[in-house]
Amino acid sequence: MGPQGPVNLDPTVLVESLHVGFAGREVLHDLNAKFHRGRLAVILGRSGSGKTTFLRTLNRLNECFPQSETRGSLRLKLQGEWRDIYRDAMPLTELRRRVGMVFQTPHLLPVSIADNLALPVKLVLGLPRRDIPSRVAWVLKEAHLWEEVKDRLNAPAHTLSGGQQQRLCLARLLALEPEILLLDEPAASLDFRASLKVEELLLSIKDRYTIIAVSHSLSQARRLADEVLVFRDGAVVQQLSREELQAPDALQALLEEIF
Amino acid sequence: MIKRITFLAQAFSWLALAATLGIILLFLGFLGVRGLDILSLALFFGNTPPWEAITGRLPVWHGIWPACVGTVALVLLSSLLAVPLGLASGIYLAHYASGSWKRWFSLAVELLAGIPSILMGLFGFALILFLKRTIVPQANTCLLLSAGCLALLVLPYLILMTQTALESLPDELKLAGLSLGFTPWQNIFHVLLPAAGRGILSGVILAVGRAAEDTAVILLTGVVANAGLPSGILGKYEALPFHIFYLAAEARSEAELAQGFGAALILLMLTAALFMGAYYLKSTFTKAWDHKDLLI
Repeated sequence: MGPQGPVNLDPTVLVESLHVGFAGREVLHDLNAKFHRGRLAVILGRSGSGKTTFLRTLNRLNECFPQSETRGSLRLKLQGEWRDIYRDAMPLTELRRRVGMVFQTPHLLPVSIADNLALPVKLVLGLPRRDIPSRVAWVLKEAHLWEEVKDRLNAPAHTLSGGQQQRLCLARLLALEPEILLLDEPAASLDFRASLKVEELLLSIKDRYTIIAVSHSLSQARRLADEVLVFRDGAVVQQLSREELQAPDALQALLEEIF
Repeated sequence: MIKRITFLAQAFSWLALAATLGIILLFLGFLGVRGLDILSLALFFGNTPPWEAITGRLPVWHGIWPACVGTVALVLLSSLLAVPLGLASGIYLAHYASGSWKRWFSLAVELLAGIPSILMGLFGFALILFLKRTIVPQANTCLLLSAGCLALLVLPYLILMTQTALESLPDELKLAGLSLGFTPWQNIFHVLLPAAGRGILSGVILAVGRAAEDTAVILLTGVVANAGLPSGILGKYEALPFHIFYLAAEARSEAELAQGFGAALILLMLTAALFMGAYYLKSTFTKAWDHKDLLI
């Protein structure tokens, strides 16, 4: 393991000897990692190295697949309290609301732009009806979408561009007051300009959340990351801080490691 | 050599297409020639004034209006019974069942799909006999019994189409709602069912079409040649397919035979209208969802 970053940072995710497998085939082996609030972590690695599986252990989404098995300790600091999410009883819906996730491709509900935000807020948070419009407006501003959509809140969400859809997905998460954000290659389906906008949004909110993003782009990692974890064969093989990432020889080593 | 095979294969495909189209055109042409002339208000209402017939104040003696109403009532009632059950079973199979339960349940659905419709009719007939001799002596074959048996007949299509439509959704979409903290049921209801709407709709239309045209089931469970408008769900009724069958077998005059062709044409139009409605609904669904697919 590489350096852990400044000591005064207070970690919010602690992963210790994590093993995850499906139907007897192990995907993550003895994985250890630590993540902090306010420090955006980017996970790099070849496809098949277990990046997505790792993200899905943090909101227990792997359990939606047949014969998944998780061992080890995975502790999250939620509402200032440490919880081992595979041991301490916490309703799954509650966990998944606090540990939000954005997928590679935007998955919107087949309703209007506003309802894409209002529906989860109503169903999951149970917010009273009169508070919903202000929440929708607030979170659209937060996601840098307000100016683009304020005149067509009732238009079907699928009329938005790909980049806007992905930012709407992020807005939908933020509306649910999460503490940890998991981003699974959030810009994979976007063109360069649209992905820059998503990155800009992430940088503007990162201080308030623990953000763990999977990326396939080294240049994106250099723009975004406060720290980079390199995955290979289901384990962390390298960990670099932002400063190390900017040095040319580290970059060279990383390139060789990943590609 | 390969060129020759390709040519032969292409020729055969074209021929097959031409043959299919030819048969359909021949069939439609035949029905058109024999049936179009008779299409008139009199075909529906006979000598009864149309308004009096529609409102049911006067009985229709020589028209197919009661059969049309009977068929529509039959289709509505059997859909009412089969659609909720089919959707629920499909959802169960796609999202809740696992392991050996799922295997047994799927096997049962496939068995049900393989039952010939005349057997379903016999089952209904036997059921009513059993009820008559045991707990409900006044039980008799009726619209409700027919609708119930028809519902059983079309149930497997509904279940399989719903299950397939739900299971073929992309994995990420299935996870998206759950990752927001939706309960499994909220996820199914607000995300997956709308997304699978196209496929499910196809199943519903197929089922409705099947219920509208089946003759064997209703033959044994309550349809009669001259019942007038159905008096209620426990009464006898007339239906278009049976009316056609009856006239084809026992027409006593040229005019009655001609009426049979007219009825066949109307039944065809009814099913065609159903399929066109379904096609329209499907294409609007397609637009809503494929637009999104393009961006991926």
